[in-house]
Amino acid sequence: MTAALRRVVVCLDVDRGRVKKGVRFEALRDVGDPVELAQRYERAGADEIVFLDVSASAEGRSTMLDVARRTAEVLFVPLTLGGGIASVDDVERALRAGADKVGINSAAVRDPALLGAASARFGAQCVVLSIDAKREAPSEAIPSGYRVVTHGGRTPTELDAVAWAVEGVRRGAGEILLTSIDRDGARTGYELALTRAVADAVGVPVVASGGAGEPAHLAPAILEGHADAALVAGIVHDGLYTVADLKRALAEAGVPVRRTP
Amino acid sequence: MRVALLDLGVGNLHSLEKALALALPEATLYVDTDPAQALAHADLLVFPGVGAFSGAAERLAPHRQELRRALSAGLPALGVCLGMQLFFDASDEGPGEGLGLIPGRVERLASPRLPHMGWTPLEPAASAPPLPWPEAVYYAHSFGCRPVDERVVLAWSSIEGQGGARERFAAIVRHENTIGCQFHPEKSSQQGLALLGALAREVLR
Repeated sequence: MTAALRRVVVCLDVDRGRVKKGVRFEALRDVGDPVELAQRYERAGADEIVFLDVSASAEGRSTMLDVARRTAEVLFVPLTLGGGIASVDDVERALRAGADKVGINSAAVRDPALLGAASARFGAQCVVLSIDAKREAPSEAIPSGYRVVTHGGRTPTELDAVAWAVEGVRRGAGEILLTSIDRDGARTGYELALTRAVADAVGVPVVASGGAGEPAHLAPAILEGHADAALVAGIVHDGLYTVADLKRALAEAGVPVRRTP
Repeated sequence: MRVALLDLGVGNLHSLEKALALALPEATLYVDTDPAQALAHADLLVFPGVGAFSGAAERLAPHRQELRRALSAGLPALGVCLGMQLFFDASDEGPGEGLGLIPGRVERLASPRLPHMGWTPLEPAASAPPLPWPEAVYYAHSFGCRPVDERVVLAWSSIEGQGGARERFAAIVRHENTIGCQFHPEKSSQQGLALLGALAREVLR
């Protein structure tokens, strides 16, 4: 019997058309070109690529669409565009530029109806609800102990992460990209309790994000956290590990993955 | 060889167009919004795969009879994802008539987690021709084709079904010169491109 394989998703932070901080790939001329890097990661075996637009200006966003357009010409694995998506028109522009999926984060918090509108128009399979969550003591308002935050964790909301995921799916999201702000960049492993609480509460795929520091961190996100996919950034960009290293560790832990790029 | 990619106005054709250009280097590619025009010059008609069933069926409706006639008479056609679903009679996803070239319905998959989004292996049918089978292909769908006659299925895929069962659905179907795949070969990396070319050549021969 065969079944769906688990995914390794590589995320690149893009600032005004350039990959932030650069990426260490052997014999790479331009460490900051997202188009070339996306292709490299496809060849290295990445199952999906995410471009997260971290530029804070309208100019940056139009540059991002151009980057997506040039990437779509040469990339043959799915591409998700996130960051700064605030309206159905933004979703349409991203998809037209060649994105397969669009990640919506703070705009959905402000206006949850955006999820339904985008889903009705373009299909749930391209609407990703991106949730940033921060741990705190469970309370009546935040029963799961994970509060939704926006703007990289600087802005707390009134939403419980698990309840928000459930509502987001009810409104039309076809996938949840779930980032633990506590673990993001810490490289101490994924926030498994958060991942599991959300994955068990929703009937769509969940992509775990934040905390990958070594190949052994990915399997628990899937086996214990019940995620469909694990997102990585720094550990592959720094040249510490390859995507193949991550896939090997997953396979050895009993997680079915795609081994040939 | 002229390949016409139908633009049904329901999604982005970028990737499929680029993938076809790489998979069929000998082909001249046209993107047609008018099915009648596509029929007039195509050696292979490609039905793309993004959007909802109803919207695409509505766009095809005025040309349904001429498309049916041309494809039944042997014009090679390749459908990807929604494009393959349009070869069937109707869909659970919404109202509208498919082309009705392959008897059967498109039904919502029975799985605890939908959309089925990600890489899944193919299970070739015993009758399948030798194709360059990839390790896995990329899917993004919630509906699957249920052909009345399962002999049209060249390959299956399975995902987790309800209550621990497995949910099997048609991954590749072929009926005469019409071939379709539920997955996205244009999103299935290099092995997907090779399979895309092979599927097209199956019906072009």
